Amino acid sequence: MLQTLPRRAVVALLALSVFFPLGLVIYQSVLSGPFFMPAAKLSLESFAFIFDDPDFWSAAKNTFAVAIGMSVIAIPLGAILAFIMVRTDLPGRKWLETPILIPIFVSPVVLGFGYVVSLGPVGFFSVWFQELFGGVPWNIYSLASIIVIAGLTHVPHVYLYSSSALRNLGSDVEEAARLSGASPFRVARDVSIPMVSPALLYVGVLVFFLGFEIFGLPLILGDPEGHLVLTTYLYKLTNKLGTPSYHLMAAVATCIIAVTFPLVLLQRALLKNAQRFVSMKGKSARQRPLMLGPWKWLAFGLILAWLFITVVVPVSGIALRSVVSSWGQGVNLLEVLTLDHFHAVFEENTMIRSIINSVLIGTLGGALAVGGYLAIGLTTHRKNDGLSRFVDYIVLTPRAIPGLMAGLAVFWVFLFVPFLAPLRSTLFSVWFAYAVVWLAYGMRLIQSALMQVGPELEEAGRLVGASNARVSRDITVPLVRNGLLGAWLLIFMIFEREYSTGVYLLSPGTEVIGAQIVSLWASGAVDVVAALSLINMALVGIGLAVALRFGVKLHD
Amino acid sequence: MTDKTILSVDNLALSYGSNPILKGVSMQLKRGEVVSLLGPSGSGKTTLLRAVAGLEQPHHGSVTIAGRAIYDAAANIDIPAEKRDLGLVFQSYALWPHKTVFDNVAYPLKLRKVAQNEIVQRVHAALKNLGLDHLAERYPHQLSGGQQQRVSIARALVYNPPVILLDEPLSNLDAKMREEARAWLRNLIVEMQLSALVVTHDQSEAMAMSDRILLLNGGVIEQQGTPTDMYGQPQTYFVADFMGSNNIMTGRIGDIKGGEARIDLDNGISVWGLRRTNAAIGHEAKAVIRVEQARLADAGGHNRTEVDLVTSMFLGDRYEYVFHAGKDLLRSWGTRHEAPGKRWLELPGDAVWIF
Repeated sequence: MLQTLPRRAVVALLALSVFFPLGLVIYQSVLSGPFFMPAAKLSLESFAFIFDDPDFWSAAKNTFAVAIGMSVIAIPLGAILAFIMVRTDLPGRKWLETPILIPIFVSPVVLGFGYVVSLGPVGFFSVWFQELFGGVPWNIYSLASIIVIAGLTHVPHVYLYSSSALRNLGSDVEEAARLSGASPFRVARDVSIPMVSPALLYVGVLVFFLGFEIFGLPLILGDPEGHLVLTTYLYKLTNKLGTPSYHLMAAVATCIIAVTFPLVLLQRALLKNAQRFVSMKGKSARQRPLMLGPWKWLAFGLILAWLFITVVVPVSGIALRSVVSSWGQGVNLLEVLTLDHFHAVFEENTMIRSIINSVLIGTLGGALAVGGYLAIGLTTHRKNDGLSRFVDYIVLTPRAIPGLMAGLAVFWVFLFVPFLAPLRSTLFSVWFAYAVVWLAYGMRLIQSALMQVGPELEEAGRLVGASNARVSRDITVPLVRNGLLGAWLLIFMIFEREYSTGVYLLSPGTEVIGAQIVSLWASGAVDVVAALSLINMALVGIGLAVALRFGVKLHD
Repeated sequence: MTDKTILSVDNLALSYGSNPILKGVSMQLKRGEVVSLLGPSGSGKTTLLRAVAGLEQPHHGSVTIAGRAIYDAAANIDIPAEKRDLGLVFQSYALWPHKTVFDNVAYPLKLRKVAQNEIVQRVHAALKNLGLDHLAERYPHQLSGGQQQRVSIARALVYNPPVILLDEPLSNLDAKMREEARAWLRNLIVEMQLSALVVTHDQSEAMAMSDRILLLNGGVIEQQGTPTDMYGQPQTYFVADFMGSNNIMTGRIGDIKGGEARIDLDNGISVWGLRRTNAAIGHEAKAVIRVEQARLADAGGHNRTEVDLVTSMFLGDRYEYVFHAGKDLLRSWGTRHEAPGKRWLELPGDAVWIF
């Protein structure tokens, strides 16, 4: 509830931050060369080039395969997991809540690396498996493996949405079904699952378009056998022609946005629909859990197996890899233990800088981002006018742009705008890109905190004589303090985890761990990558520990 | 408009999108008077109160407080809520959970840049007035519902607004406390000589608390008047139905004699009553009689009819009798238990309204 002038200023700044980079990408896509070259003119030849490239089509095909495949895997598993966790007497449900969500907070590039060192041809688990059974039945570098891993690591996303929908479902509708004579499983099939189907549909679209944006896993796992997806194809284009091929990258980016943006709009429509369903919810009385009987141990075992594959295998692989100098068949790991990789990290200035920068961008940058999101949130808070609806759409837009491309677009902005150029090699450019990429996520956190404030508390402030701005300062903001703290911690974790957005912004002074890993991986410095990955996970882990300590809810 | 009028609403209209909520409402509130806005849910009573407070956006009409126009569509005046200087007691009390009782009440004075020592003095005076001074350092969640309500009233009164608005002030209290709070609140308003506009959906609450009642229906004022007028002289079927417990029967006008009419009811009974409709003989009409006006009689006679007593229900201070008359269920009250069977029921002609 800001006054008109700052309100307009905030919205104008927001619109500029989102649409200028996006516009630049689309503009660049219809130029015949990089926009800074005087010879570049309007043309569709960049599209002609990529459409002529068989690699583009195979990448597009793979992208659809990944998006569809991971939806098929993640949605049923996530929905079942949610039902078991929310509605049954599974042993250790409380204890499992947090580990289930870990894959969301681990950087995909770190995860991918973890799978390579654990399940790759000479990975720890592969070697052990081979010693025990004489052979390894999997090939981690195949497209199928990428799909399965992407599917399994996206189960938590589905779990988040379906579990909160299931929790919101009043137990009275289920009890009514029980009293009409339905068995517990009939209740699940005929009442509970149909009633959360809008949430499932919503998350289905979400997972599908996350499949379009996926970058870290295919970058690392798809490389050895040359499986490209659109994002990795875009990344490879960087060096394909020798000269900067910005127009080609922009054309690929435009193609991706052409698919993801309608999906984002579809998601928004579905969310509205889902909310309509939720508003019919009954009293959320205490729910009697469904008795699983002996089945509960099977369910428990399956969840542990899933956790083992998605969390324990990659994380332990990285941890182990970061402290051994060599590995493989016949190597006794105890004899090759070393801290040399960490020494290597802490001896090089760029590495130290990337760690410091990562911490800075998570803490200070996170706080700044939350402040910015709060300012935007207050401009639309309890205002249902044209400006608020406009902000709604602006906030959604970055959702459709994968981090890699957003980073590229921001890089161009800082290249293109003369007075911004000096900021290009400062951390500000990275922060700006991060803040824009995570705009939708951050705004959800802020808006859900703001919605907790009863409207009459603010109206009471108005009535006793406080202006809109005073009400924001004296009533709304103090009341959402805890929500802001929680948002800050979650943004911290998300910013630590981020890797693709910083890739194109990587320059001396702007190193962050995630982007550094991507760049080091290309140069084959596996030892350092392992050490940095572990440090990265440790930072996220610290954020997670603090968040849990303060009772921050990891989901809504 | 006399100079005793403190709040005046003139032809106020308000819509949510294309859905009209208030369709031209006019009313006056005199200094020291309590007026209730009564009506079923969706009648626009809360919207009217919130429009006066400046929390809803009307599109037509005007609102004047103590001679000062705070809203006037024609003159393009729309004073924001915080400049209207009104006191509003919210249905949910809307106490700020992050401020103590003292800070809640002090906040309006702080906004008015009152000196610190005067704030302390005035807040304590206001709290003392409401019997709350020992709770000043508590937080709202540490108070009972009744105490929260008093804090909310203290906060609305501390800056001496010319008019205090109360939105369903008793609805958050349990049934027993509600009656006590009703008496306490009426007493407070009278003692402090407040001018109050009260929204309520409960007709007995409205009658008990106010000098005048405005009954709203579908965004217009159906009837206004003193509680006795509203209860005893309803001008429309809606008012008659809303204001009390009634026996309602349908039928056709059988005969008309000046201000009286005979209605031949579908249940076979014919009664004379006060004519409140222009319907001609042979047209459909409704007969309404308050439950307490229908009474048992010993024998047949004018406006008496034989009905089937089904049961007697004990209500504590009285019995309620339930009769069958054709397809209708009729009710009346009495002081003793009656066995089921045939009985004579009298519907006195001056208590039957025909709409």
